[in-house]
Amino acid sequence: MNPMVFGPELFTFFSVAVFFVLSMRSESRPARDYRVAVFLAAVGLAVSLAAVTSSGELFAAAYRVDFFSQVFKVLISAGLLLVVYLCGDLNGISSRHHPEFHLLLFTSTLALMTLASGVHLLSLYIGLELSSYCLYILVALNRDRDMGLEAGMKYFLAGISASALMIFGLALLYGAAGSLYLKDLLVVFPTLMSRPMAVVGLLLSLSGFLFKMAVFPFHFWAPDVYQGAANQVAAYIATVSKVAAAAVLIRTVAVSGQANTYLTHALAILAVTTMTVANLAALVQRDLKRLLAYSSIAQAGYVLIGVLSVGLAGQSGVIFYMLALLLMKLTAFLIVIRVAPDGTGNPAVSDLAGLHRRSPILALALMISLFSLAGIPPFIGFTGKFMIFTAAMQAGHFGLVLAAMINVVISLYYYLLVLKAAYVLPPKEDSTPLRIPGLEKCIVWILVLLMVGGGFYPAWFITIADAAALMLTAP
Amino acid sequence: MTVNGFPYLTSILLSCVAGLVLILMTPEEKIPWIKWISAFFSGLTLLISGYLFFAYDTRIGGLQFAEKMPWVESLGIYYFNAVDGFSLPNLLLTGLVFFTGVLTMWELSNRVKEFFALYFTLVTGVFGLFMSMDLFFIFIWYDVSLFPMYLLIIVWGGTRKEYAATKLMLYLLAGSALILPAILYLYSVSGMNTFSIPALMRPGTFSPGQQQFAFILLFIGFGILAGVWPFHTWSPVGHVAAPHAVSMVHAGVLMKIGAFGVLRVAIFLCPEGWKYWSSFMAFLSAFGIVYGSLAGLRQTDLKYVIGYSSVSHMGIVGLGLSTMSVDGLNGAVFQMVAHGVMTALFFSSVGYIYDRTHTKEIKELGGLSRIMPVASGYFIVASMASMGVPCLASFWGELLVFIAAFKVYPVRGAFAIMALAISALYMLRVVQRTFYGAKNEAHAHLPDVPFSLGIPRMILVTVLVVFGFFPFLLLDVIETASVPFIQGLTR
Repeated sequence: MNPMVFGPELFTFFSVAVFFVLSMRSESRPARDYRVAVFLAAVGLAVSLAAVTSSGELFAAAYRVDFFSQVFKVLISAGLLLVVYLCGDLNGISSRHHPEFHLLLFTSTLALMTLASGVHLLSLYIGLELSSYCLYILVALNRDRDMGLEAGMKYFLAGISASALMIFGLALLYGAAGSLYLKDLLVVFPTLMSRPMAVVGLLLSLSGFLFKMAVFPFHFWAPDVYQGAANQVAAYIATVSKVAAAAVLIRTVAVSGQANTYLTHALAILAVTTMTVANLAALVQRDLKRLLAYSSIAQAGYVLIGVLSVGLAGQSGVIFYMLALLLMKLTAFLIVIRVAPDGTGNPAVSDLAGLHRRSPILALALMISLFSLAGIPPFIGFTGKFMIFTAAMQAGHFGLVLAAMINVVISLYYYLLVLKAAYVLPPKEDSTPLRIPGLEKCIVWILVLLMVGGGFYPAWFITIADAAALMLTAP
Repeated sequence: MTVNGFPYLTSILLSCVAGLVLILMTPEEKIPWIKWISAFFSGLTLLISGYLFFAYDTRIGGLQFAEKMPWVESLGIYYFNAVDGFSLPNLLLTGLVFFTGVLTMWELSNRVKEFFALYFTLVTGVFGLFMSMDLFFIFIWYDVSLFPMYLLIIVWGGTRKEYAATKLMLYLLAGSALILPAILYLYSVSGMNTFSIPALMRPGTFSPGQQQFAFILLFIGFGILAGVWPFHTWSPVGHVAAPHAVSMVHAGVLMKIGAFGVLRVAIFLCPEGWKYWSSFMAFLSAFGIVYGSLAGLRQTDLKYVIGYSSVSHMGIVGLGLSTMSVDGLNGAVFQMVAHGVMTALFFSSVGYIYDRTHTKEIKELGGLSRIMPVASGYFIVASMASMGVPCLASFWGELLVFIAAFKVYPVRGAFAIMALAISALYMLRVVQRTFYGAKNEAHAHLPDVPFSLGIPRMILVTVLVVFGFFPFLLLDVIETASVPFIQGLTR
């Protein structure tokens, strides 16, 4: 076996081992932990990039390495690197727990990587549970114990309920199809379409992933968890774990084939409800992280439109959109972390006041990420939506596109409120200019350029997304 | 990349982008540098668009200066720029308003760098929209020209700026929420995997039913931006709140984008829909003309008067478009340019007056013609143009539209002409109360426009007069597009 095939996972596992050892040491040295984590995450990204073209099957064909999974692993590693980089002043978690924090973060990443590659529903289930359990603890690690525990508990309860539904769905699916290999399902599913057992089974099996994406009705944990978790953990949940969830969602829904009307209708209803509920709820949020949570839920609704427009265009649209979401959300969370009062608290929207004076570059980045989240051209979020909507339109879902566009207008209102705070309100009395180190300025500029460039000239990314989506139906 | 000769159109966009990048790189404190950079690059775009206007070969007509390059091949998106008789006058107008807008803001001192950066972004979108022949890019440029508006109004604006900026943004985005599904709908049902307008324009691409459906979405979507009644309410509020240069671009050019979008996308792609809905369009436009004039009659704020007169004048453009005749189209495009120059002049001169007197309330002004005769002169010329006085450009636009409209829709045409009389009434009333009558002593010490600050207004007045005396300069160009288009329909 070529080790590069399993390279990203092996390396992440090695990183986990390193932090396992570090966590056994009695003295706490957060600075060292941080440097090690950034180094490991950076090498991890390099390994993922090196392994991007490898392909193969492992573990009794339950694990498939192809361009699709490798692209997602690159996205996951890149997201992890940025989240880890942002842990420079991880005040939200007591320094005693830093090695454990990194241990869990890397373990969760390992699990998410297996999600991108799993082609057997049980291996997917295991990956999902492993990553979720890490995240439950990460959320509960918040220095503010009450808030962290409450959020962690809520997350846990919502999570296990979704898992229970998922297991039930898997059982039904196995009963109907006689196999849990996605490639077998792909073959038999067209004949099972008329059988409720198979459709209900598939829908319930999806609930685990829908929970991860925070799709209605599994969405209500998101605002509390984002608010209760340390900012970096919230950033991770909002970005990296969403990316992996989208990967499995596309893979699993792809088995239902082109014309499964039951499933399409169910997912369409979920998509519209998710967007509408989230966007309306976001209108009244005052806490920046809660607002971003609702915005993530709404984004999940748009993603679902791409997922249900089964076909190359929809799948490639979702892959592209996940890249866009990663960039937009990470930029937004970077600003959340920088403007958080004393580096730990939950910033309110009004804490952004005067950002354009305190740090013009962060204000610019915030503006672009918000417009991009709202789906305004020429930013990358628009191009992603454009691809998804084009696919939906070609699948004949005109109403869905119109509903999504109406939601875009609703969502614009609360993004504008945030923007207004950053650009119009005068700085608070006691605020000081934000000191941004040179390296971070570079990172912000790269994010901004990717958001503008990827939106305006997306051809290169679209080629990659198309090639990755092609792998879903390849033998 | 297929280019016939030098890529003039791209170089217009590139000079905007170059200006934007240089402004972003200039330190914030170096205000004169930023202004000179802005003036230089906006002047460059004016020069190029002026050159194109005269270099366009009216004997051949059709699309000229075309540039085509694959952008995203899997989706059939091309970077495809070209100009024809409809877009060329608008390109010139944009260059003109852009350059004079920069000069109008010469005295700005608050957050100068950000202002000009956003202003350049906005105008890049406007230029792009007028020259693009690909639906994807048209949508991109449409929004590029909108999102800077929010910050431009909310940061540098005046009266009720937060309300105005938010309202404007939500209205216009609601418009794009109709445009995007319509564009994607046309793209999907054509089955041609292309967003290129000339390719989709071929007769028989869409069935009449599809055209009627898409047309109304596109008409309302773009119509919101064109200030079509009853979707116009964002526009006077936005005009009033925006800083002067932004009002100039906003009323002078942005609203034209809406009308141009109706023409370029809705009418070009869905002529059957146009036939079906034209009577409805005429109704809304005539109503807008009458409503705008009546509302203008009641305003007490100078900028509101201009705002409502814009609604009325854009109604004339809409009426012209709805007549489905060569004269109507000629008049509509002529009116777009004339109205653009005229409102730019309006806002530019109000800008000067407001910066000195700090009021736009008509009753607090008065007798200004004795305090600042030159500044008043500019405003009075603009209001003459607004009334449709002969020898100024807007006369020809209105004349052509009314001739065409009277043939097709006599009743609506008659109402529109009556509304014109009302607009003369309120314009004269404003001029009389603001510039004549008793002098407000509080303003007696204020200086008149110095020569250097008067340059942008002089340019605009010159253009109004030149096109007023020599309308064929503009009409010859517009006809190269309108005549073949209408002939193509009747064949």
